Amino acid sequence: MSEKLQQIINRQNQALVGDDQKVDEVIQLVGFIVGEEEFSIPILSIQEIIKPIGWTRVPQIPSYILGVFNLRGSVIPLIDLRARFGLPLQKHTDETRVIVMKNGDDVAGFVIDRLTEAIRMPKRDIGPAPDTISESETMIDGVGKQADRIVTILKVHKLLERNF
Amino acid sequence: MDEFEEILQDFLIEAFELIEQLDQDLVELETRPDDLDLLNRIFRVAHTIKGASSFLNFDVLTHLTHHMENLLNMARHGDLVIDANVMDIILESIDLMKALLVRIRDRGEDSGLDVSGCVARLDAVANGDAAPEPVVEIAVIQEAVAMQVDEEEPDYSTMSDAQVEAEIERLLAQKQAEVAAKRSGSNEAVKSEEAEPDYANMSDAQVEAEIERLLLEKQAQDAAKRAQKNQNTAPQASVAPSTPAVVTPPVPQPKVEVVPVAKAAPATPAPRRSEPKEEGDSKGGGVEQTIRVDVKRLDHLMNLIGELVLGKNRLIKINDDVEERYEGEAFLEELNQVVSIVSLVTTDLQIAVMKTRMLPIGKVFNKFPRMIRDLSRELNKKIELEIAGEETELDKSIVEEIGDPLVHIIRNSCDHGIEVGEVRLAAGKSEVGTIQLKAYHEGNHIVIQIIDDGKGLDADMLKQKSIEKGIITEKEADAMSEKEAFGLIFRPGFSTAAQVTSVSGRGVGMDVVKTNIEKLNGMIDIDSEVGHGTSMKLKIPLTLAIIQALLVGVQEEYYAIPLASVLETVRISKDEIYTVENRSVMRLRDEVLSLVHIGDIFEVERVFDNSEHAYVVVLGLAESKIGLIVDTLIGQEEIVIKSLGEYLKGIEGIAGATIRGDGGVTLIVDVAALMQMAKSVKSTVGSENGETKKLGAKNSSSDYCVMVVDDSKTDRTIMRKSLEPLGITLVEAVDGVEALNILKQGDHFFDAMLIDIEMPRMDGYTLASEIKKYNKYKNLPLIAVTSRAGKADRMRGVESGMIEYITKPYSPEYLMNVVKRNIKFNEGL
Repeated sequence: MSEKLQQIINRQNQALVGDDQKVDEVIQLVGFIVGEEEFSIPILSIQEIIKPIGWTRVPQIPSYILGVFNLRGSVIPLIDLRARFGLPLQKHTDETRVIVMKNGDDVAGFVIDRLTEAIRMPKRDIGPAPDTISESETMIDGVGKQADRIVTILKVHKLLERNF
Repeated sequence: MDEFEEILQDFLIEAFELIEQLDQDLVELETRPDDLDLLNRIFRVAHTIKGASSFLNFDVLTHLTHHMENLLNMARHGDLVIDANVMDIILESIDLMKALLVRIRDRGEDSGLDVSGCVARLDAVANGDAAPEPVVEIAVIQEAVAMQVDEEEPDYSTMSDAQVEAEIERLLAQKQAEVAAKRSGSNEAVKSEEAEPDYANMSDAQVEAEIERLLLEKQAQDAAKRAQKNQNTAPQASVAPSTPAVVTPPVPQPKVEVVPVAKAAPATPAPRRSEPKEEGDSKGGGVEQTIRVDVKRLDHLMNLIGELVLGKNRLIKINDDVEERYEGEAFLEELNQVVSIVSLVTTDLQIAVMKTRMLPIGKVFNKFPRMIRDLSRELNKKIELEIAGEETELDKSIVEEIGDPLVHIIRNSCDHGIEVGEVRLAAGKSEVGTIQLKAYHEGNHIVIQIIDDGKGLDADMLKQKSIEKGIITEKEADAMSEKEAFGLIFRPGFSTAAQVTSVSGRGVGMDVVKTNIEKLNGMIDIDSEVGHGTSMKLKIPLTLAIIQALLVGVQEEYYAIPLASVLETVRISKDEIYTVENRSVMRLRDEVLSLVHIGDIFEVERVFDNSEHAYVVVLGLAESKIGLIVDTLIGQEEIVIKSLGEYLKGIEGIAGATIRGDGGVTLIVDVAALMQMAKSVKSTVGSENGETKKLGAKNSSSDYCVMVVDDSKTDRTIMRKSLEPLGITLVEAVDGVEALNILKQGDHFFDAMLIDIEMPRMDGYTLASEIKKYNKYKNLPLIAVTSRAGKADRMRGVESGMIEYITKPYSPEYLMNVVKRNIKFNEGL
């Protein structure tokens, strides 16, 4: 009985995946600037975007993690993407934002210099990450080509992965 | 989840509940081997498990329990006397049964454990020691009746149907006579149930009597304990003794069940109520209503309460702020009332939910009588266990953690504490050693006390052993107080046992005790007198999720320390801190307390700290103590422990975080880890001044940095022009708020600030007092530059922390000189 059910579910899932591929030819990204470069992440991995708020320093962690902050009752780590990418620190400005990203149960806030725009990008315009970087190490998911610029798409799960 | 899985889960839950009570019953049984009620209870467990496991096709388990039941049944009918040997075998089989159940729980199957040896011994006892052959057969056959046709039953597979029937007929006739004599009362008419046709005709009365009896007993217990559970167990109980064919539970309605209990209870051979111990269980006679709740739901509820407590804290803080600002306004009283009601209800709610999570510690204590019995046989000592306060309740999560430490402590008491009989007699003590196990509440803690009247701990001997094993040096040993020496038994690798026995002596157990108790934020206190015994007190907080904490400040940071670990706080002056072998210590009454600065543990940047006084928070955990130096004590607050999440988990010294009334996050100190860290942290308590100087060192004029705070662009320009010749770095801010933000960001290290008084958003006075709140800037020279020249203004300036007062207009040279003087310009070059 349950096997049969499983088969049906599997079949339905397959059908769904097929549908997705057709619809999902365009993916939506949110672009932002860190340092000089424009990066982007899939819009679905963003929980919310907030203005910078106060945080509490946590000892004995890498310096790119600023600490933890209170997001409506949850204690969430705050990570400075400039520091994460090895760029010199900069004072927060009016344009500084915190993007709260999530991947499953993992949630963290990332400080970025400023937001650019929401980007709709056909899948065919996305190329792979430069192969000079080893596949398992890179935080880059791919590179999106637009008329006048190149947007680096980041792996959210890699950003949210603890690496210390 | 399919039906089978569901039944299996029910079976496991029930089985584990049953065996929990079993151990205690068995030990009691040894002292009162003829207590039929006890025997019945034990028999019933074997029986229930057998019935259900055969239904679920766990053949090994069925096989084992079948033979156990067999033996117990004989004892129950007086055909077998239970002595220590029989008991050993029964206990062995029970252990095996537990192992099988665990296996089923973990893997879903019961194969892989060999039960044949145990079964053989069970049978040997049944056949050898016991009575005439027919009785054995009766027992076996009764089983068959009860159990229904088990194809794998070797006894029957060899016989033809006719043979079996004939045999059964003969034996049953005999048995019925016995049964009738024994409990004629239970022959009352019962609902007729359809049993397996083979047996229906001839064993009707017997089967029914048996079913009825089992059901009644089961119901009596269950109904009293938890009416809810009945619906699950009744069908199982009925399936077990009768047959799979009997699908309908005879008494499906809990209400109906209660009635026969009252009627039939007196009819059973040993009325339950004659047992004083049973009174507790059966009080309320099924009226008591309980429901089973998934622990996850309770945890969720607890989380929600946690949020509420945070909200309450916040509300209280806002109320305080509002009170300050709108003093004397009429609406304040109303607000006050609402706040206090909300806070009262929240507290009550929290206590109520906490109570739902409470379990009696008896759940843990239950396994000790059995353990003591085994140990005393193994060690050849006579030991008695006295339990008190088993009804004391504490949080479920703690009940789960407390078991292991207690096992180790009690083992230790049996092995090292209690002497063998002859030694005891020679020492003028009773031959039987006593271990007392007590639990009681003390404030927000539960205290578990383990007292033995054995040989006690000998401080000198402990020191000697520790030196031999290289755990401490001789020098350390000399400095140790008696209590500290007792604490040695918790060091890993320590053991006083001359040789390793199966019971103890590996030097691991007490280390486990310490770790587990520390995990629970508990404390251990040992008291001992040579020759008279040892008393160990475990003090454990009642709950783990919401705790009272002491908030402390260091520089600009705050930390929460679980109040359970705080023994006291003392204010000391810096001269009271001594340095011994590179660590800071202080004298606390007649003790020497080692000190560690919280800033050293948590890498807090210390820029300025010239305060003459320090606060020491004396932390106690398990048996160790340490003094934690902090800058300020904020106060006591109820906090909700939140995890830092997957990304930041496992940070040494941090147990979690909490959200404060102002919405900020405060980290919670993990006292156990902190004590570990304190051992390796280099003390900087004495070397602060040197560091400060280094930070202030200047190499060129532009290393000096001064902030100019003025809302007038013209004024700022004038100041800039005046100071330009010095070549120092100037940072400008247009008002107090911006100035404070620049300071907080810490991009610059300021040597002085020039502050205008009249400014929008935040004026100069407020800014000055805000700045002085930060330890870091206590010594930052603040210079007021203003046109307000009144005496009162100057006074206010001094009060708020300004050290110079320049009135506009001023000459550029004057300003330059004042600044030069205050930043000690060129003195360091």
